[in-house]
Amino acid sequence: MQALQAVKLSDWMFEIPRSAREDMRVPARVYADAQLWEQISHDKSIEQLINVATLPGVAGYVCAMPDVHQGYGFPVGGIAATRVSDGVISPGGVGYDINCGVRLLATDLTAEEARPRLETAVHDLSRTIPSGPGRNPRLSLDPPDMDRVLAEGCRYLVDRGLATPEDLAVTEAGGCLEAADPAAVSAKAKKRGHDQLGTIGSGNHFVEVQQVDQVFDEDAARAFGLERGCITVLIHTGSRGLGHQVCTDYVRLLDEVMQRYDIRLPDRQLASAPLRSPEGARYFGAMCAAANFAWANRQAITQSVRSVFERMYGDAGHPRLIYDVAHNIAKIETYDDQELCVHRKGATRAFGPASAETPNQYRAHGQPVFIPGSMGTASYVLAGADTSEERSFGSCCHGAGRAMSRGAAKRAVTGAQVRRELEGHGIVVRCASKSGLAEEAPLAYKDVDRVVDVVHRAGLARRVARLIPVGVIKG
Amino acid sequence: MSEASERPTPTTGSAPPGHEFVDHPSEAHILVRGRTLAEVAAEAGLALAGLALGEPLPRAMGPWREVDVRSRDRIALLVDWLNELIYLGESERWIPLEFDVLEATTTHIRARMRGVERPESPSLVKAATYHGATLENAGGGLEAHLLLDV
Repeated sequence: MQALQAVKLSDWMFEIPRSAREDMRVPARVYADAQLWEQISHDKSIEQLINVATLPGVAGYVCAMPDVHQGYGFPVGGIAATRVSDGVISPGGVGYDINCGVRLLATDLTAEEARPRLETAVHDLSRTIPSGPGRNPRLSLDPPDMDRVLAEGCRYLVDRGLATPEDLAVTEAGGCLEAADPAAVSAKAKKRGHDQLGTIGSGNHFVEVQQVDQVFDEDAARAFGLERGCITVLIHTGSRGLGHQVCTDYVRLLDEVMQRYDIRLPDRQLASAPLRSPEGARYFGAMCAAANFAWANRQAITQSVRSVFERMYGDAGHPRLIYDVAHNIAKIETYDDQELCVHRKGATRAFGPASAETPNQYRAHGQPVFIPGSMGTASYVLAGADTSEERSFGSCCHGAGRAMSRGAAKRAVTGAQVRRELEGHGIVVRCASKSGLAEEAPLAYKDVDRVVDVVHRAGLARRVARLIPVGVIKG
Repeated sequence: MSEASERPTPTTGSAPPGHEFVDHPSEAHILVRGRTLAEVAAEAGLALAGLALGEPLPRAMGPWREVDVRSRDRIALLVDWLNELIYLGESERWIPLEFDVLEATTTHIRARMRGVERPESPSLVKAATYHGATLENAGGGLEAHLLLDV
């Protein structure tokens, strides 16, 4: 019913007016073409987006990306900016996997050069990088080291010889949010994460070896260090059990204190507190600390990838970090001279050339943005666009977006079938769980080409290159 | 449901405890039935173990251990109970499979549990959420809907 009240503002945008429900404080925008809109209308993501539009202090509009799908509290692929002055912060607007994100590494290897040792390389990656429920005793953190990771993020790994200053220069926020407060992270969260640094985890997380299949913007691709045919590695993971526990702890706390602040919301999972309240500030400090853990996690995995590739391929195999960007996070950003807390849940920051946060070497083109497709299909490299600031609080999509439940995917296809199909396309696959392969089968996802096409045409980010997988290590 | 301490005393004629998984586009939705809150809690724990270990479940082994969970209301209690089990599963590599709920009120669950150790942490489930969480009277017993982030 709510979907019927949507107004089509362009070929790429629908809007649900504020009048659609009396508790909405702002309108809700959905970036989608007609076909994606039809898909989106079939689950509860629009209802969830409307719920988000009721958050106290929400600014301008809330929006959903073309890969949006039903989640819990916020839809996955949702963005909401709340005023720092009188708005709230919601752990549900970040999600359990705080700073889940993506980083891309590039090598000077061509696919032809890599292929003879590819199977061995993928196998070694799967043995070196713990996936699924695996832990990493080699990087087990004692309490002081855990606090350093939470406070310093990737900077801690420079001291350990596992990161370089060049890596930090091409990591969002330098791989460290200064507002992190390790003391706001519970002992339970620290215990969950103490042996998980350098691990992929489960669900849709992965390490994928790819080749650049198509280049759309030669200048930007050159600036990003990408050439057609070269081998890249995409890493997708987050803050693991530590981040999950931080979210659990603070959803519980904010659910308890909401009444004190006279906050009433249509979904308890949106539990919120004023940003300037002690509880809101404490969550923000804990969330930043978990985000730092996630950046350190992806950096530690990077070092494992480097050790395997250099062993296999020598100097040409050295993977350079192109960029690392979060897609589950809340950050304080300024729009029209107003400080806002931008919640991105399943949405990627996509700052353009004008942003001071775009690394110097990419300033002519915009911040790199990576959009993984479903397992076995294409992924995209985009460049953030300045127009995204006014259209989506500097954000774009984060993936293909689920179109089918895990259960339905498992009923439609077996893990063995998925493996055969991927191998039939020449893709080397390593996955501990057959059911995990089925759950993440390409048929369970929307068409990433279509999702990216909407983002490109809507001016949220520009297409730079298309990557196709040659090896997959699935969490 | 009274505030008084409640050891499970099932009502005759009501449906036996059980659980099932309901399709959800991205997460795991469980429907749990029990004659008492204690049975609902135990059955929710079994559903979680099923997600972590697959079914059929192995036999519980080793000594009993006790957990105590306190929350502000029945929904929060079920969510917190599951989150405690998720925490134990990931941090201690231990999955509870057999539940003896000693006390269950609207704000408190005390239970002893036996389970199995798994050397690799079964971190398939990240957390139990409040989204769409319900606990209602149904068929002479109780029925809960719970959404887990996986």
